[in-house]
Amino acid sequence: MTTATHPAAAAAGVPGVPAVELRGLVKSFAPSRGSHDREVRAVDGIDLRVEPGEVVAFLGPNGAGKTTTLDMVLGLTEPTSGAVEVFGGNARAAVVAGQVSAVLQTGGLLRDLTVRETVRMIASTYAVHAPVDEVIERAGLAPLADRRASKCSGGEQQRLRFALALLPDPRLLVLDEPTAGMDVSARRDFWDTMHADASAGRTVVFATHYLEEADAFADRIVLVAGGRIVADGTTAEIRARASGRTVSATLPLPVVADAVALLRDTDGVRSVEERGARVVVTATHSDAVARLLLLDLGGTDLEIVTAGLEQAFMALTADPRSAMTEGRSAMTQGRSAITTDEELVR
Amino acid sequence: MNATFTLLEMRRITRDWAGMFFTAVLPAFFYLIFGSTVDAKDATIGNGNVAMYVMISMAAYGAVTATTSIGGNAAVERVQGWGRQLGLTPLADSSYIAMKALIAMTVAAVPILLTYLLGAVTGAMGSVVAWGLSALLVLAGSAVFALYGLLIGTAFRSEAAVGAAAGTLVIFAFLGNLFIPLSGALLSFAKLTPLYGYAALARYPLTEGYLPDGSQDPLWLPVANVVAWALVFGVLATVLVRGGRERQ
Repeated sequence: MTTATHPAAAAAGVPGVPAVELRGLVKSFAPSRGSHDREVRAVDGIDLRVEPGEVVAFLGPNGAGKTTTLDMVLGLTEPTSGAVEVFGGNARAAVVAGQVSAVLQTGGLLRDLTVRETVRMIASTYAVHAPVDEVIERAGLAPLADRRASKCSGGEQQRLRFALALLPDPRLLVLDEPTAGMDVSARRDFWDTMHADASAGRTVVFATHYLEEADAFADRIVLVAGGRIVADGTTAEIRARASGRTVSATLPLPVVADAVALLRDTDGVRSVEERGARVVVTATHSDAVARLLLLDLGGTDLEIVTAGLEQAFMALTADPRSAMTEGRSAMTQGRSAITTDEELVR
Repeated sequence: MNATFTLLEMRRITRDWAGMFFTAVLPAFFYLIFGSTVDAKDATIGNGNVAMYVMISMAAYGAVTATTSIGGNAAVERVQGWGRQLGLTPLADSSYIAMKALIAMTVAAVPILLTYLLGAVTGAMGSVVAWGLSALLVLAGSAVFALYGLLIGTAFRSEAAVGAAAGTLVIFAFLGNLFIPLSGALLSFAKLTPLYGYAALARYPLTEGYLPDGSQDPLWLPVANVVAWALVFGVLATVLVRGGRERQ
């Protein structure tokens, strides 16, 4: 390694200086000429602070604004408004200093260069870089070093992009949908390589729309939808939020109204919904709710369903404005619950 | 300037045998057919003979084929994602352009050398100044067509479009008075087309502006043509290239 600082040491960084800080970040794109579309706000006010050493997943559906946000972190795109700071400075300056690098979803490769030539070419743009052969080895590309990029599979090309990203030995590594389009085993291989290498105290921010990837690799999940952050927490927090169960039962019609009121006041109940005679309750203490429904309220046809991370994800990302507004995501909720209700009525 | 980067880029070009054939070998072949074997090849024109006139024209055709495809492919690479990859490195746009320009000039020099070498052994005659100055003008002027390639590559974003752009050079070469001597109304129109000024300027040290039909172009005409087309290509390319790093 030719770089002066070990990533683990560098990750500690200057105390108090975040790896990434985004303030009121907005990016809008003009509609294409001739179309009647309105201006598109790909990123619609994102505030985020990533501390050195964190592994953060940007989780969200396609079109959520993940790539655009990361492009601004990398200095590839200028924000329409708001500020981006990377290690306390300008994004492009951090790239030039070799503090940040990335594996891009759409980062092109030159088809007619071999793996080693590609690494050598990109290495030559850095004043100081890790040795070419070492990087090829670490990305698991040694057996294909002399293969043309055009002859590499999608997964192999992605590992090549990963090798390129390792060259400056960056303090912050950005991965934009690094496994998109890979089959299951290629995806596992890629993350194994990542785990082996990037767990050495590097800050990692990666975008994905695979829940399991976010869950398996990140310490913290930032849920993005419609260009905004809809939830932000540790993996455990997001899981806990999603760990509630849905309990439903059919009640005798006359008691429904009273039952709903009673259930709403019960500890651990998050939401109560009426569907005619059927009551659907989302709660953390599903046993207590079930007992109440069956024994005290005379309910029948009881059903208990575990809400997975998947459901939380769907619920949170379906409509950012009606999404959960608690915990760290509090910063995004300029709109109150009342607005939400109004929108539902509409 | 980055030697490793430039040499690897050069290696890519030498790997492309078909491309090298069209840039280097074809113009030399054209010279042999149109220049060294015609009956009029020894006829005097300006400071030399017709063979030399054809030699300069074919060298010019080869040089612009080289710069158009290099400029065009650079643009296509950039819009197809390599630009984003390079955007993640400290490499400045200006050094990238300087390296690509150096490569384009180096490759453009190949058909010039080859055609001039063939010319020298097959009877092209001209003053020393005409030989040296025409070669330099062919080389320098071909840079304008790197902008043409860049423009087409950025606008259409495909290698096929760049191939087509290099193909349209045949038409421009015809209109530019490179392949066969034009006359009359067609010649008047030809003087407005992009290759005319470049080729006429390159031949100026030999012809002093005299055309095969006996008429003479004042020096300002080819100069104005080159400057005008350089501006057109340059302005359009700049407009299109802006924002090249952003996701497409």
